[in-house]
Amino acid sequence: MVVRNQAVLTARFNKLQADPTDIDAFCQLDGYAGLKKVVEMDKTAVLDELDRAVLLGRGGAAYPAGKKWRHLFYAKGQPKYIVCNADEGEPGTFKDKTLIEHDPLAIIEGMTIAGYMFDSPQGYIYIRGEYRNLHRCLRKALVQARTANFLGENILGITGFNYDIKIISGAGAYVCGESSALLNSIEGKTGRPRVKPPHLADVGLYLQPTLVNNVESYANIPVIIREGGAAFKALGTEKGGGTKLICLTGHVKNRGLFEVNLGTPLYDILYSEKYGGGSSTGRPLKFIHFGGQSGPIGAVAQLKDCLYSYDGLWANNLAIGSGALVVMDDSVSIIDYLNSVAAFFAHESCGKCTPCRIGTLRILEALEKFQKKEAVPGDLEVFESMLTHVTQLSACGLGQSVATSMVSSLKLFPEEFELAINRQTAEQKEVLW
Amino acid sequence: MANLTINEKNEIIDRYQANPEQALNILVDLQFASTDGYIDQKTAQLVAKRVGVTETRIYELISFYAILKEKTQARYVLKICNSAPCRFSGEPLVSRSLKEILGVNENEMTADGLFLYHGIPCVGACAQTPFIKIKDRVFPNLTAQQIVQLISDLRAGRYPAL
Ligand code: SF4
Ligand code: FES
Repeated sequence: MVVRNQAVLTARFNKLQADPTDIDAFCQLDGYAGLKKVVEMDKTAVLDELDRAVLLGRGGAAYPAGKKWRHLFYAKGQPKYIVCNADEGEPGTFKDKTLIEHDPLAIIEGMTIAGYMFDSPQGYIYIRGEYRNLHRCLRKALVQARTANFLGENILGITGFNYDIKIISGAGAYVCGESSALLNSIEGKTGRPRVKPPHLADVGLYLQPTLVNNVESYANIPVIIREGGAAFKALGTEKGGGTKLICLTGHVKNRGLFEVNLGTPLYDILYSEKYGGGSSTGRPLKFIHFGGQSGPIGAVAQLKDCLYSYDGLWANNLAIGSGALVVMDDSVSIIDYLNSVAAFFAHESCGKCTPCRIGTLRILEALEKFQKKEAVPGDLEVFESMLTHVTQLSACGLGQSVATSMVSSLKLFPEEFELAINRQTAEQKEVLW
Repeated sequence: MANLTINEKNEIIDRYQANPEQALNILVDLQFASTDGYIDQKTAQLVAKRVGVTETRIYELISFYAILKEKTQARYVLKICNSAPCRFSGEPLVSRSLKEILGVNENEMTADGLFLYHGIPCVGACAQTPFIKIKDRVFPNLTAQQIVQLISDLRAGRYPAL
């Protein structure tokens, strides 16, 4: 039984320390209990359990996994493919890396359950190029799973349950974290996003129906099957079940990976010794950047009663995203910080569509002007409408989320932007065309 | 890719059954196996021929993906993180120290061809900042003193595997 305040996804981490790919040890610690149970279940009952669990996608978009699985289940066409997105690239995030390092078979089990559910012949793990040392660990885990007949032909002795998993390396492109770009990359193409719709569950890898889920999402699947959807949901809140792996970085004493129940008070995460342990610099904490560079920013002072859950953050115009919490003290100017964010996006824009390719550069230029305190009256308005353009006109999630942190910062720290403007100079008006 | 024979290159390609789906895996492995740290034209042509795509296609991949290089690199490429979480929690110590010790700017090779340092986006080591990453290896939580030491160790060839 799983209960609150107890490790769930990280439960095996210490116990498998000697060799995280040791399949016997894994099986003694509930490993493959999910797969063994799922093959005894009615497939539609499995979908119902997933719905009951309210597992929201752990990659960042928080799309309900139950809905995604149901869509694929009823999608027409075979073969269907199972893809694991391990292209973790959101700055401040290393939870997928840690999961792969410490419990790779949990992910493989989750993907195998998906393989069974959709009669898929083939799964793919797309892992970022910078995580090359993890490829070895995954490869070893796959070999172990094959040897024990949890992958390969007639898995668990079930005739016709044939399924295997391949590893594909990325090579340094943040945009490949976008599902359709990732599929293009697997196909051996440059990883630029596709135009959607069609939905990937209908037209995905090699134009076949495809399931793309994040590493942490897959690791949650066996837990749901094992413990039941309701128990899983009880680990979190009404709007999002389970625990969440979070990554604390920046100016907190205890940087690193933690597992928390969704619904844990945010201040506990920041200040309690169990988690962040408060400021590492002795200065007050000023803001938190949630969920990666594409996520929103929150002012610490305003979040005293905030719960770290999907609904708790949404209520404050925030989001969990990847699970990153970049915590900054009051020595950091929001303009300096956003410059760095903007530079990141200008660098990572894939260049396929104009609003993002040009817009990210214009945003960066504007912020550099603010940084040098060279802005003139009107610049702020131009900047804000540039943010709107890029958000509304960009083709994929990357471009659409460039402005998220900036929009929240404009609301939280208007005085810092105001200080960047030289009110003595002539006003600049946006040139419309 | 002076240090790799044609057989060694073919071996890497065969590891992936010359599957075009694995072109990225192949290119990344080839580059990591070579001491020059880039894909030269001969190798690009070989990969193209073996996996059955055009040379242009291979170069399209090399230019799109940041890890793949088409020019010779320094013996030791020191990767530092330029994403916001690190930049505001200790990373500047690394760039300042390297500039001082090596006497070159970011992205400039030292005259002896040994070192080049450059900023790349988050590599997932944000809880160990300030760090330097060389190939797959992260040197975590560095002090100014340790950075000096690391460079002199590298100069002395104490990390042959990197
Ligand atoms: S929004 Fe940006 S990353 Fe996405 S397709 Fe357009 S240019 Fe590429
Ligand atoms: S932000 Fe620097 S390694 Fe993650």
